[in-house]
Amino acid sequence: MKTSRMQVMLAVLAGCVLLVIAAVYFAEPAHSLPGFFPGHVSAGSSEAAHHHVKHGIAALAVALAAFAYAWFATGPAARRSHTTA
Amino acid sequence: MISYFQAAILGIVQGIAEPFPVSSLGHGVILPRAFGWNIHQNDDFFLAFLVATHLATALVLLGFFWEDWKRIVAGVVRSLREREIREGDADARLGWLLIIGTIPVGLIGLLLEKPLRSVFASPASAAAFLIANGLMLLGAERLRRRVVATDAVGSDERLSHMSWRNAGFVGTAQAIGLIPGFSRSGATMSAGLVAGLSNEDAARFAFLLATPIIGAAALLKVPDLLGPAGNGVRGPALVGAICAAITTYFAVKFLLRFFETNRLTPFGIYCVTAGVLLTLAFAAGL
Repeated sequence: MKTSRMQVMLAVLAGCVLLVIAAVYFAEPAHSLPGFFPGHVSAGSSEAAHHHVKHGIAALAVALAAFAYAWFATGPAARRSHTTA
Repeated sequence: MISYFQAAILGIVQGIAEPFPVSSLGHGVILPRAFGWNIHQNDDFFLAFLVATHLATALVLLGFFWEDWKRIVAGVVRSLREREIREGDADARLGWLLIIGTIPVGLIGLLLEKPLRSVFASPASAAAFLIANGLMLLGAERLRRRVVATDAVGSDERLSHMSWRNAGFVGTAQAIGLIPGFSRSGATMSAGLVAGLSNEDAARFAFLLATPIIGAAALLKVPDLLGPAGNGVRGPALVGAICAAITTYFAVKFLLRFFETNRLTPFGIYCVTAGVLLTLAFAAGL
């Protein structure tokens, strides 16, 4: 499978962004999350103090998947397929 | 609360229904209603109880396939070190197929498990979905691709030839098991058949896929069992977990042998029949 340098860079970038998102979910309660984050609620809500740990785990899982993709896409097998193509 | 007798019955049913393609969640919803027990799917104490039985199921599955998991994990680590999955490294490829199959259902489960459970928690809807689960199993047997004879090659070797796309498809199919009445293992096996696996290989892949997802889901909720929601239910939960562990072991042992020569058809017929009878019974006011 041929993989462009751009795809690898996008995967690494997405992985980094998702890591940050995961950290925010782990660290901040629901009312302190940025408004555009799924799970954000107003300070008066009964769920305001809830930490969306599951959302954080989901973001972390996708981040690791993105890094794994980039790792293999720049490995020896990918380089061999590039030189033989 | 749950009595020790109820815990034992629910544990036995969980242990059998989790690996069998007949929906453990559906049976967990329907059984208390059918027996007239005052237990509901969304009761905090019942959710705490389910954590223990699911953890027991996951541990038994892990123990059952322990040697396989050691090879698979070693394969994944080897591939990461070498930054490639070498030609013929079946363990590494199977490991990554399992990871790819686990990611979609993991994400869907993390984000949608609670809303799905609360929307579809009634025994009547579980009975209706049990019918749909049976039709899915029967349909998968009809749609299955013709599988070539592969007796000489090991199951893991055959599974490792599955495409990445098919692994994602089979893994995503598991998510339907979040709806009470649909079986996670049934969906995985059905998708495996449609993707071209034999019954034996589809069952093995389903059990391997089940271990991380059931284990992770249960571990995430262990605080519920240890917290206030678990007060008064830990004793019955322990009994239920032991019963679930014993029955899971024998259920997996039976199914691996059963699917060497048999199909999903009997389970499909059971689900449709039980679903229709229960729907009629609930409509009649049971």
